[in-house]
Amino acid sequence: MKPVENFISQFKASVILDESLIVKKQNRYFLLNEDLKREIRKDFFYAGAYLGKIKDAIFFPSFILLAKIGKEKANKIIVDEKTAWLFICGRDVFKRGILKVMGSKRKGDYTLIVNEHDECLGFGKILRNMNKVKDENKVIVKNISDIGDFLRREK
Amino acid sequence: MTTVLELSLMSGKKFFVRRYEELGWIYDEFESKLAIRVNTMNTEKVYVLERLKSRGIVLEKIPFLENGYWVSRSEFSVGATSEYLSGLYSIQEAAAQIPATLFTGLENKIVLDACAAPGGKTVQLADLMQNTGVIIALDVKRRRLAALSNQLERCRVKNTIVYQMDARESSRLKIKFDRILLDVPCSGNYVTDKGWFGKRTLKDVKINAELQRQIMTEAVKIVKDNGEIVYATCSLEPEENELNIDWAIKALNLQIEEIYCHGEKALTNIFGKELDGSIEKCRRIWPGPTQGFFVCKLKKRSCG
Repeated sequence: MKPVENFISQFKASVILDESLIVKKQNRYFLLNEDLKREIRKDFFYAGAYLGKIKDAIFFPSFILLAKIGKEKANKIIVDEKTAWLFICGRDVFKRGILKVMGSKRKGDYTLIVNEHDECLGFGKILRNMNKVKDENKVIVKNISDIGDFLRREK
Repeated sequence: MTTVLELSLMSGKKFFVRRYEELGWIYDEFESKLAIRVNTMNTEKVYVLERLKSRGIVLEKIPFLENGYWVSRSEFSVGATSEYLSGLYSIQEAAAQIPATLFTGLENKIVLDACAAPGGKTVQLADLMQNTGVIIALDVKRRRLAALSNQLERCRVKNTIVYQMDARESSRLKIKFDRILLDVPCSGNYVTDKGWFGKRTLKDVKINAELQRQIMTEAVKIVKDNGEIVYATCSLEPEENELNIDWAIKALNLQIEEIYCHGEKALTNIFGKELDGSIEKCRRIWPGPTQGFFVCKLKKRSCG
């Protein structure tokens, strides 16, 4: 539970997860509901809403968790369509592609990347204090994880 | 009695095409048409259709499906849009979209998807259930479970538990199910597999038919008395379809329910063998705008 909470807190978000409904399977975390909790056996492979996994002491969030954080008040950057597409392809976010910033603009913080339809595309790390950057061609957010991963997993 | 060797030799395009003619269908070449299904649990249908249209994707409504569309034209892969990656729609062949829609009242039910990977129908069931109730999804191969899990994550499915389990052992779960989807492993068909005629023999068909009977037998043990079983294959071979269902209604005391969906009445005479008349309630879909398919809905026979 702690790694999930710690990860969420990095976005200054207040997502409340019922600890009694979270199950850990090896290094993966899942959020159940009461119906699933009643039916589940220990030898499951996947269950409910996948939250993410721990690997080498680092928490890798699922896109379900990121979308859940994105629904709440959290560090978020809305990007234009072209930037959204490039982000899905694994690219970083340049200042010129940013439409709106919510929450932190500070270097070192984590932020969700959201498209114009308010869909979470992934997350990244802010590389520069946004208030100080004037150059439109500077990278502002380093891509850490994006939904293009679903395609990369298939390869 | 046909020997195993003889069954192995019963193969090739000519052999199977002649069988189809004996069943009353004239073989023709068909291309599998790309189709999508909107996941209404995640979006408004109109909204996603507008977004795809704005990308230059031309869709054609599939007349016999509520949320299915053929992709008539697209400059790029519909499997690489942000809408797809956000789970707003799935890529699912048109006939394969039929089985899950045959169940009644899915919301808040306990549903078994007995042969679930790669998960297209599992996501569809979750969609029809609007993420309520519980789906238990099984598959025997671990590698295929990873593909299934990716689908569930992408489409934000939250009501499913996945186990690595052979459907023939599903009574180990000790659950009685309201609905069971048996999208059973089958021999497939030539529309979706270009090399089909070159590799399939009647022996394969018989092996698959036996496996399907074993899966049906297990399903009957775990379905509630008033529960529904939907049986589906993408095989054209009667051994896996009408002949298996004829066996099931006699050996497993099942009855066939009326269904209203795309397809023709199933055959009640197979190579001269007269089957139970109720088999015509099943639907046989010969290749055409869709791949080949067979589907039916079964219930335990009531005592009265």
